[in-house]
Parts: sequence; C-alpha cells; structure tokens
Amino acid sequence: MALLELRGLNKHFGGLHVTNSVDLVLEAGEIHCLIGPNGAGKSTLFRLILGEHHPGSGDILFAGENITALKPFARIHRGLSVKFQVPGVFKGLSVRQNLEIALQRTHRSVELARGIDRLLTFLNLEAEQMQTAGNLSHGQKQWLEIGMAISLKPQLLLLDEPTAGMSPEETHQTGEMVQRLNADGMTVLAIEHDMAFVRQVAQRVTVLHLGQVFAQGSIDEIVADERVAAIYLGQAHA
Amino acid sequence: MDIATHIFSALYQFGDAFAFLVLSACGLAVIFGMMGVINLAHGEFIMCGAYVTASTVHLGLPLPLAILAGAIVAALVGALVELVVIRHLYDRPLDTIVATWGLSLIATQGTLILVGSSMAGVGTPFGSFQVGEYSYSIYRLVLFASALGVLGGLYMLFNWTRFGVLARATIQVPHMAAALGVDTRLIYSLTFACGAGLAGLAGGLYAPTMTLVPTMGATFIMEAFVTVVIGGADVFLGTAPAGAILAVVKSVMTSWQGQLFGQIGLLVAVIIVVRVLPKGISGFLLRERT
Amino acid sequence: MNGLPGFLRRLEGPQTVGRGPAFWITFAIVFAIACAYPLFSDGYTVGNTVYFFVWVFIALSLCVIWGYGGSLSFGQTAFFGIAGYSYGILTLNFGSAYGFTLAALVLAVVIAALFALLLGYFMFFGRIAGVFLGIVTLAVTLMLERFMAQTAGPEWRIGAARLNGFNGMSAMPPLTIPWSGGDIVLLADIGLYYAVLGLLLLVYLGLRILMNSSFGNVIVAIRENPERAEMLGYDVRKYQLITFVIGAALAGISGVLYTAWGQYITPSSMGMTAAALPLIWVAVGGRSDLTSTVIGTLVVLAAFQALTIYGSQYALVFMGVLLVLTVLIAPNGLVLGAMNLISRLVARRSKGDV
Repeated sequence: MALLELRGLNKHFGGLHVTNSVDLVLEAGEIHCLIGPNGAGKSTLFRLILGEHHPGSGDILFAGENITALKPFARIHRGLSVKFQVPGVFKGLSVRQNLEIALQRTHRSVELARGIDRLLTFLNLEAEQMQTAGNLSHGQKQWLEIGMAISLKPQLLLLDEPTAGMSPEETHQTGEMVQRLNADGMTVLAIEHDMAFVRQVAQRVTVLHLGQVFAQGSIDEIVADERVAAIYLGQAHA
Repeated sequence: MDIATHIFSALYQFGDAFAFLVLSACGLAVIFGMMGVINLAHGEFIMCGAYVTASTVHLGLPLPLAILAGAIVAALVGALVELVVIRHLYDRPLDTIVATWGLSLIATQGTLILVGSSMAGVGTPFGSFQVGEYSYSIYRLVLFASALGVLGGLYMLFNWTRFGVLARATIQVPHMAAALGVDTRLIYSLTFACGAGLAGLAGGLYAPTMTLVPTMGATFIMEAFVTVVIGGADVFLGTAPAGAILAVVKSVMTSWQGQLFGQIGLLVAVIIVVRVLPKGISGFLLRERT
Repeated sequence: MNGLPGFLRRLEGPQTVGRGPAFWITFAIVFAIACAYPLFSDGYTVGNTVYFFVWVFIALSLCVIWGYGGSLSFGQTAFFGIAGYSYGILTLNFGSAYGFTLAALVLAVVIAALFALLLGYFMFFGRIAGVFLGIVTLAVTLMLERFMAQTAGPEWRIGAARLNGFNGMSAMPPLTIPWSGGDIVLLADIGLYYAVLGLLLLVYLGLRILMNSSFGNVIVAIRENPERAEMLGYDVRKYQLITFVIGAALAGISGVLYTAWGQYITPSSMGMTAAALPLIWVAVGGRSDLTSTVIGTLVVLAAFQALTIYGSQYALVFMGVLLVLTVLIAPNGLVLGAMNLISRLVARRSKGDV
C-alpha cells in the first residue's frame, strides 16, 4: 500500500523549475533513499512534502489523504516527522528539555518523564541530559535531533542527510538504528550522499536530477545504470 | 474649479506625499536592505541633518550648501555610530534595534540639553505659485525633484560604481566577498554612513518647512517605517513603488479626512499589505521577475 | 515538593531562575518585608512605591513576549494606553458604585487583549517576524499617540468622557472595593499598595507556573528554533499569538493601575520615550527571566527617579547609555547575570560541604 504519493509535483522559483512534475510513490514499510547531484531538487522536495513550500501544481497524498493544502504542523499530526540537514535542536535549552518539548504533545506527567528517560538511553545521552544542547558535539546534536524526530512515533520519517559529518563508525550505527526503526514498522525516506549508508539501508533508491525523477530501482540496479553514473560524472567535470 | 486644476491639485498632493515618504525612508531602506539592520535612531539622524542645515544657514551658508553640510555631518556621525555600536551587533539583529533605540533616546535628550527645546528655523525659499484659486509652494516641487534625484543617484551608486558593486556582492555572499579580498567591514561602515547621510539629507531638505525640535525625528520615522516594511529589502524595487502606493493612499485620505487619517490610512495599508505580501513589494516583484 | 498539586510543582523549572528552599525562604522574607513596609513609612512614599509596582506588569509583559517568546514588541505601551483610556472612559460613564471599577479593570484589560488579538492575527499570520514585528508594533503605538493627541475638540467624547487631546483624561474614580461597612476606596497609598502587591504576587507566581508548563516549553522552543518547533507538530503562529495576547493583557493591567493610581492618562504615555522605558528595564534586568525582570524594573525605576532630581532629560540620557552598554556588554541583562553568578557560587559551596 502506498503511504506517500507525489503526483506531478511542480515547484518553480521564477523561471527555474526546482521540481518538475515529480511522481513518486512510497510503499508503507520501506526504506527509500533519495540521491542525486547537488541542486537536483532533493531538499526542495522535502520542503514540499513537509509543507514549508507550496507546489505550483500537483498533489501530495499521505495515507490516502490529500495533504497538499495542510499547514506543516498539521502534517506532523498526520504522522510525518523530519530530521533537518543542519541539526535543528533548541540550542539554548538542555538536552532533556529538548526531548520534553518533542514528547509533551503526546505524553503527560509520569509517562512523559519515563518517555524522556527511555529516549536518553536509546540515544546514549544520559550523561549529557542537563547539558545545553548547543554545547553538544556535532554527532550528538544529530542524534538528539533524530531522537526528537522519532519520538513522535511517525509513520513516515524524513531524514535529510542523517549521517553528514559522522565518522564511518557512527554512520554504520545510524544505519542500524534506521533499520531497527523500520523493523518496528516505520517508513523512512532519506536524502543521502554517503553511498555506504545507502547500500546498507536502502530497499529502493530514487535518483533525482534537474528536478525530475531520473531513475528508480534497487541500489544494484542504480549503480549499474550508466546514465546515472554519467550525471554524477558530468557534475564532477563541470 | 475646473478639472485641470483638480488634477493638478491631486498630483501636487501626491508628489508632496511621495517625496516625504521616499526621502524619509531611503536612508533606512539602504541600511536595512544592505545590512538587515533596522536603525531606530534614523529619526535622530534626520534631526541632526536639519539642525546642522539650520545652524550653517544662520552662519551665512547658502541653503543648498547647508543641506549638503547636514548630510555630510549626519554621515560622519553614522560612521562613528557604526564603529562604536553597530559593528559589534551584526549577528544580533534584535539587539541592534534595541541599541539604536538607546542611541535615539540619548540623541533626543542630549539635543534638548545642549541646544534647548527648539531652534530658530529657516524660511521656506522660492515662494509660491498660483493654479486656479489655490497657491502652491515651489519648494515642494523642489522636494519632489530631490526625491527622484536621490533615487536616481542611489541607482547609479549601487549599479555603476565600484563601491556599489562591492557592496552588493558583500550583501549577497558575505563570506565569498571577504574571501575575494573585499574589506567587508569597510563596506558595512560606508553603507551605514551612506544611510545616515541620506537621513541627514532628508532632514536638511525638510528643515525649511518645519519647526526644529529635538523630537522632530519622530515625525519622519513612522512614514519611513511603513515605507520600508511595505517595500521590503530592495531600495529600488521596494522603496520607490511603496512610496508611490503609499503616497496615493496618504494623499487621498488626507484630502478626504485630514492629515491624521492620512497616517491611519498608511498604517492600515501596511497591515493589509504585510498580510498579503509577507516579503514586501520587492520580495513579490523579485519572485515574479526571476 | 512531592506533596504539592501538579501545577504548584511548576513554580520551579528550567525556565525560571531560583529554586530550592534557599530561594523560597529569601522570597518569603522579601515578601514579608514588602507587607510590613507601609507600617514604617509615610503615605507619600508608599504611594510612590505603588507607582513602581504598577510598571512591573508592563515589564513582565515584555519579558514574556520578548524574553521568553523571542518576538520583540514595541507596542506594549499601546496596550497600556488602550487599557488606561478604556478604564477612564468606562468609569467616567458608569461611576464607581457597586464595585464597577473592578469590572472596568477587567473590561479594560480585555479590550487591550482583543486589540492585540486583532493586530497579532495580522502580524503573526502574515508571518511578520524579527525586526519587522518591532517596527510594525512601534508604528501602531506612535499612530495611537498621534490619534489621541488630536482629540482635543469637544466632538471627541464617548458618553460623558471627553478625550481631551494632548492634555489627556483625568478625574476618573480610583479603584473601589464594595464592602458592607462602606466602599473601600483605593487611593494611591496603603490600600492600593496592598491590592497591587497582592496582584503582583499572583501574576508573578502565575507566570512562573505558566512558563514552566508545557506552554512555556513551546514558546521557548519557538524562540530557539521556530522551524523545529513547527516540525514537532506545534502551530507556531497560534502560540505566538497567544503569547502576544497574554503580554498585551499584562501591559493593560499596568495601564489601568496607572490610570487609577494617578487618576489621569495622557497620549504621551504611548510616545517614543514611554515605549522605550520598559524595554530598558527589561533589558537591564534580564529579559529571559521573570525574577530578574521584576528586580531590574524596580532598581532601574528607583535609579531613574533619583536621577530626575537633576532634570528628566539627564536621567533619560543616562537610561539611553545604560541600554546601549547593557546590549553591548551584558546582553543577557545585569540582574540575571548577577543571579546566575550567585547560584553558581552557592552550588559550588554546597558541593564543597559534601
């Protein structure tokens, strides 16, 4: 069953088509990676899905409901969640408070405290819970934001370069975590440049190029596709 | 009264309002558009220009030179303010507003202490002319021409001179400009001084038409604010059309219900426009254009 | 504090400085001194102290909107003025019998809050943020001042109340509490002192609870990162609007109390200078903490009044210098900085004891 369906999604800033009639179907329960050269429109696509940008034309369907006109927060209520590319934590607040803000919409009192503790353990941030989030290392900030995103128990988790700035070891751990979440039933759509990560987790891959879906398939099919290699090489030459 | 004099009267009112809005706002708009800084001491730079103009006229300088002196002194004060205060607050825009408000308070009250509660004015030059049964001030036409002149001058400054090109580069990609060897601090200093100087020019130009009191800046800032809020961050695509639109609103409302309603009309127009165009007119135009 | 009902536990929390027995004992002592103070002072000094207390509400309003919510509003004096004028108009028309002045207080605050709701709707739902919010609110405030200043003519009257232009309205009745043995009129001395002190205590504690509640969490989150807050499912604009309306109501309380205290209100209470003063108190105190704001406001007001002996323009220049220096040197506020220092020292010492 399709969880997310993009139909003919167009977004242009002036004359520049950032996404050009993108059709994309995300099956419930899959891990789907979105790759493509810089400027392919990946982040814009995320912003369209989240409602931060509005498409010029086209529709966004989530779990069968047309959410194209919904405000961002309302889409979150429907079961979407996101981790941004630049870690979006509340820098001036403690780690614990960051998680509390994420959880308090759905949890109360004792349950809330327990939920926060569970997340702290899961994220391995127990020792840092009273620290100001702005003082965490880059990797820890990434983890904290992932923690906030998954604490919403979303049906669909959007990850914008989840492993940026991580060591290979941390990248692998992140991959394992994504797989664990997926095993519990969470659908994941990730923008990622790190091909090791893509190979580790992706069940399907979509290549975006110049605002259009360029290719789609398993990671092996994509790697074998000479046209895909050509656009990356083309960019390397440019 | 025949139709032609009606039309002339309406045009005159429009021109007067347009000149006031554009001249009040352009200094604020340059600083905001280029640096993202809202200068709440803007009105006090206007006051500074007016005071310097009036005092140099009393010393015997001809009015045009006196106005120029007002603009230059305001620009120098602006450069000093940038050096001492603004420079340290570039990454804290809200704090810049607060700090410039402090400066505004110091300037207003300081002038009150040093110069007293009012200053001898300068007579409005050129006299008037008659159209139909009404007489009109020639100086108001000079002001209108000056507003157009300032817009034209700014256009040339930012498009045709080396400073203008470097300034625009600095604004768009600050770290890139810095990497290319542009002294971005100097550019910001000069831009702020330029904005302050434009405020001083507005003060000098309007000095012959109003009473000079330390709080005179407040007369200008509301108009300056609304023009910049509606215009958005671009001086040419924002301030000029915003000035034109608001001038229509203001002159129509003023001739219908008096000056106060002209100002209320401005405010209502602002609140409605920002609801419809959050990025101002220039944001709207730029989106359509590119 | 486990025995307390849930909401009282929120008197302490990450959003407010001051916790534990040491803080609350100090708090109780300060409050006891404040209660006993009129017994050792004369009516004039007490009346003057009430004047200081009156301003604390508008300072708290700015603290909530700016310090906690991260939206810089220059419009607080507009709500102050609207509520003050509303109180005047209501009481001049309907008198003070049957405790109507208290109803007028509430009504005037509600009017200010409704105005904020309308203005805030256009601003927040128009996605005005940052510096623009400041200048739009300031423009509205100046507009109101100009409007009220030109209402001198006899045609500007609402019922029995003349607006009186630049000279302002006067001779409205003071707050009056109906009582079986005859009404208690709260003139600007001991009676009003206890009433305002009580209200201040309620508002201060209430705001502590609110700021440490889940609502407070969300508005602080919006200050830190509005995009992230929205993407956790919070309707950012709604929260900003509610915060703005709460702030307007607090400023309105100041306006009513001020009007009832001096039995006059003028347009200049909404002017540039009047609008700048609360900003100075809050910035100097420490905008992101309620306690610092209260202390800062009282200290700066006292200093300002002491300086006006040399002339109010000198005092205002000093205030301007104070503001600029605070922003440059101690952007978080002087009182808050000092309080954080004290609590760190205390923490270190108690650690040393163990």
